Amino acid sequence: MTHGHPSGAAPVPDGPYPPPYGAPTDVARRPAHAFPQQHTTEPAAVEPAPEETPAAPKRPGRDRYLDLLRSIALVRVVVYHLFGWAWLTVLFPSMGVMFALAGSLMARSLKRPAWSVIRSRVRRLLPPMWIFGAVALTLLFMSGWSPGDDPDQGGGPWGLVKLFNYLVPIGAPPYPFEAGDLGWLTGGTWADDAVGPLWYLRAYLWFVLASPLLLWAFRRAPWPTLLAPLGLTAVVGTGLVTIPGETGHAVTDFAVYGSCWVLGFAHQDGMLKQVPRYISVSCASLVMAFGLWWASGHLGDGGWDLNNIPLAQAAWSFGFVVILLQYSPSWQELPGRLAGWDKLVTLSNNRAVTIYLWHNLLIALTFPIVDLLYEIPFMQSERGVEALNSTYELWAFAFVWPLIGLMILSTGWVEDLAAKRKPRLWPNGSKSKRPRTSAGAHRG
Amino acid sequence: MAPPSHRRRAPRPDRRGALRRRVPLRLLLPLLVLVALAAMLMLRGYVHSEILADHRVQDPAPTTQVPKEILEGGPVIDARGGKATTLSVPDHRLVLTFDDGPDPTWTPKMLDVLKKHDAHAVFFVTGTMASRHPDLVQRMVDEGHEVGLHTFNHPDLSLQSKKRIDWELSQNQLALTGAAGIRTSLFRPPYSSFSDAMDNKSWPVTEYIGSRGYLTVVNNTDSEDWKRPGVDEIIRRATPKNGEGAIVLMHDSGGDRSQTLAALDTFLPDLKDKGYEFDNLTEALDAPSAHSPVTGPELWKGKAWIFLVQASEKITGVLVVGLAIIGTLVIARFVLMLLLSGAHARRVRRKGFRWGPPVTEPVTVLVPAYNEAKCIENTVNSLMASDHPIEVLVIDDGSTDGTARIVEAMGLPNVRVIRQLNAGKPAALNRGLANARHDIVVMMDGDTVFEPSTVRELVQPFGDPRVGAVAGNAKVGNKDSLIGAWQHIEYVMGFNLDRRMYDILRCMPTIPGAVGAFRKSALEPIGGMSDDTLAEDTDVTMALHRAGWRVVYAENARAWTEAPETVQQLWSQRYRWSYGTMQAIWKHRRALVDKGPSGRFGRVGLPFVSLFMIVAPLLAPLIDVFLLYGLVFGPTQQTILAWLGVLAIQAVCAAYAFRLDKERMTHLISLPLQQILYRQLMYVVLLQSWITALTGGRLRWQKLRRTGVVGAPVNGAVPSGQAYDDDRRPVA
Repeated sequence: MTHGHPSGAAPVPDGPYPPPYGAPTDVARRPAHAFPQQHTTEPAAVEPAPEETPAAPKRPGRDRYLDLLRSIALVRVVVYHLFGWAWLTVLFPSMGVMFALAGSLMARSLKRPAWSVIRSRVRRLLPPMWIFGAVALTLLFMSGWSPGDDPDQGGGPWGLVKLFNYLVPIGAPPYPFEAGDLGWLTGGTWADDAVGPLWYLRAYLWFVLASPLLLWAFRRAPWPTLLAPLGLTAVVGTGLVTIPGETGHAVTDFAVYGSCWVLGFAHQDGMLKQVPRYISVSCASLVMAFGLWWASGHLGDGGWDLNNIPLAQAAWSFGFVVILLQYSPSWQELPGRLAGWDKLVTLSNNRAVTIYLWHNLLIALTFPIVDLLYEIPFMQSERGVEALNSTYELWAFAFVWPLIGLMILSTGWVEDLAAKRKPRLWPNGSKSKRPRTSAGAHRG
Repeated sequence: MAPPSHRRRAPRPDRRGALRRRVPLRLLLPLLVLVALAAMLMLRGYVHSEILADHRVQDPAPTTQVPKEILEGGPVIDARGGKATTLSVPDHRLVLTFDDGPDPTWTPKMLDVLKKHDAHAVFFVTGTMASRHPDLVQRMVDEGHEVGLHTFNHPDLSLQSKKRIDWELSQNQLALTGAAGIRTSLFRPPYSSFSDAMDNKSWPVTEYIGSRGYLTVVNNTDSEDWKRPGVDEIIRRATPKNGEGAIVLMHDSGGDRSQTLAALDTFLPDLKDKGYEFDNLTEALDAPSAHSPVTGPELWKGKAWIFLVQASEKITGVLVVGLAIIGTLVIARFVLMLLLSGAHARRVRRKGFRWGPPVTEPVTVLVPAYNEAKCIENTVNSLMASDHPIEVLVIDDGSTDGTARIVEAMGLPNVRVIRQLNAGKPAALNRGLANARHDIVVMMDGDTVFEPSTVRELVQPFGDPRVGAVAGNAKVGNKDSLIGAWQHIEYVMGFNLDRRMYDILRCMPTIPGAVGAFRKSALEPIGGMSDDTLAEDTDVTMALHRAGWRVVYAENARAWTEAPETVQQLWSQRYRWSYGTMQAIWKHRRALVDKGPSGRFGRVGLPFVSLFMIVAPLLAPLIDVFLLYGLVFGPTQQTILAWLGVLAIQAVCAAYAFRLDKERMTHLISLPLQQILYRQLMYVVLLQSWITALTGGRLRWQKLRRTGVVGAPVNGAVPSGQAYDDDRRPVA
């Protein structure tokens, strides 16, 4: 989104029509290992699973409505990164929703001393990230990247200093714009795909650190604090003022999603409920209309991809989140047909960091797997190849979820350790219930 | 089993079953209508090149891959057999070619000129134009001209995929087949010129098209008539040198072609004198005709295509007329409302304005109640604060929640409770009327709250002996939710604009059930309330008009009501209103030919009410259909501006209504959303009423009673406490 990373020279995926006639018609199948449609510039959304706060025993359990929103946001991010459909950013602004949810939880926790809250948030964020960072850096070094010699990182010792961001993401962790080939990781943009999403952790960290101050300001002057980030976006997100470098990205991201984060405060403090619904919803839709209007005049290469249009993203996300939170029904459990998704919602909420950290690297991994399908004997015919070509992303989509599942099994427990909980392999909520009921039945 | 507590009468099982089966209809039919409309609009956009049009043109490219014999060869390229050859037109033969048509204005004139000079030509038609003007294609074929393909909607094929090229050709052929029953083997690429202009981008296309069995026909003499250089210049450019054969490029479409036409009229006889023959291509090449007749399914496919396109053109035309009508109606209505409501407000707010001598006599207040346990106490208490002497009659219509007992327990001296078995609201009101001690009767709902002055304000107009009934001003109490705010806007506009207008025009269609007053002596001759329709309030008001009574609006008689909070409740309420209104209009249709006051109402009031309440809302979806179409395909900016313009007019009217009612303007902020969410709901409901009325409503006309079944939402009935809430209609 607000990153200025060059998107790299990934091969252009097939459009609705096959390549124009007259163009070289050499490719009968997709080149292997080409990360065709990954859009790492998508900010994704996630925060450590909210802890069951012992400080607030009155609130029984978690608000399943918010959990559901978080799960939808995560799935939307994965789908978007895989298919690259710009309209998904309009359909559901995942980032804004995620930051709003995180802001709400932060405001809830900040009844405790600020320092301990920040420490516990950071503690829960970092270990999973270290695991991912270790793997990513290993891959990068194996591919021949030398941060000290990378001119894009400022060169010399500066490049090495930036590696610190892999330990504590004060800035987005650095990576080479053109990464060397490494096994199935080819095409130069794989580092961008894999590490690019980590900017989100930087944004999250900034918000966590700023929260005590933001909350203080919000309680004194709610409306200015709520709307100030939108105003800031209008300044730094529109080219009016350009802050160079990683600082610029950080400030812009902070501005774009700041209003959503503060909306989380407003939701937690019950301020949203005090505004008559007709006013909040009407104003929110006006803000959203402004966002769309602004986007229509600033369409980039990505078309309606709001991630590339900061002010539109900020306005659309803000309005969207206002409406979602205004109608927030505070479910104790998922109602009706949604109840069937209960376990998946629980799992994705408990492993949100893991899913977010790894999903894009895993998407990259699905492409060589899909390429294997072309080797199946009965798929060798022209029609077989054509069928695979036209369903390429669908196959990748089908493969990415098992991979994410494997990653949850192998590294997800780190999230529990970081939260000082007993490590769990597959925390989908069913475990804790079953032993209790069966035990009760047996021991009577 | 149906939950009986929600119904006023036991539902008749047979009809209930029938309704169950009919339920999808209410969504299905409007949906089908909308989808069909949208499809027709899309089709029209498609053949008008508003959809899928691609106006890009390839930049010049090197010519290294084009065979030399092509670059230096004749204008007819035959790449059918794999090996490409070219053909030239023999000397003293001239093939006129016209591109981009047929055009409804110019092509017929060109055909006339060609016929006059006994010349044949080749028309390279686009699929879009051929689909829109099939008769011209038929005429070309009939008069000995040849027709060639020029793609469906004229893109630069060198920028397109093979799939798209195939589609352009087949779609073009489909249009030809539908128009004239033929296929052709001639093709001219859009943006083409001479053979020597073939380059590395366009040559592969030519080869591919050759492989599909087409002759590619470019030209070697370009009249450049599209630049409109003047008649003489066109003739000069189109005339080949030294009696050579030539393929001349002209255009019969794409703008003013009067110069081409004039040039043709001179050029043809001149060159004939020089010994030229004007043949179509295959005649000039002495080859078999390029046309081959089509039969069987292909022919029918083509004919179906042409039929659909023609239908879409006509339907779109009708829709545009409809849009103009609805636009005029909407604006006229707003202007009329502003003028008349302004006049009304000025009249009744004039200093010293009086209906007649002050009305101080006691009146009877009828409160029909069905399961109003929650609200009835508030209602009755608000009446006790009245500053006008009243007698209160609570008619308990077989409540199951102890409504009657609550009222009796209050032990109020001037409140009587009458119980009856559940018989419906009209019956309850009639029972109340029969027991009323006073001539003036106020009617209200069991969940409505009056202000202390409401009754007094409401009955003052009876100082005028001609007034038979008075409508009060119902206000929405729960207006902070979104759906509440929308209804609030609707109510304020309905009571302060519509009702004032109807008052002045003397055709007020409805006394709201929530707050209205009647003369008993006026109701008795017409038989009191009737349960012939779902809207007995509209029915009785119309009957009063026909009996010659005046029905007026008392702006200060405010009653506070609770508006439906869910879409389902709202839907069921509005469905009863609109369907009931239709029934009432139908019931009183004979007023149209009556004499006296009845005839006046029939010829002025009824058409007026029908126009604004039944016909106009039916056309209203057109606004949204065109908005959507314009947003996606059309001139987006103008569409949005036009929509904002209409919104602004509405905002002005709403603001005026709010000012008249001294309401805070903040609720107007939900007006834009109301226009894109609420209004649509309202006309879907109206559409449903139309469908009910047209598909068997008439058969069951007399049987359709207010059982609550008809209006009940699909899954689950109206919650108790909402039983009579459908009777505080803001508009009619």
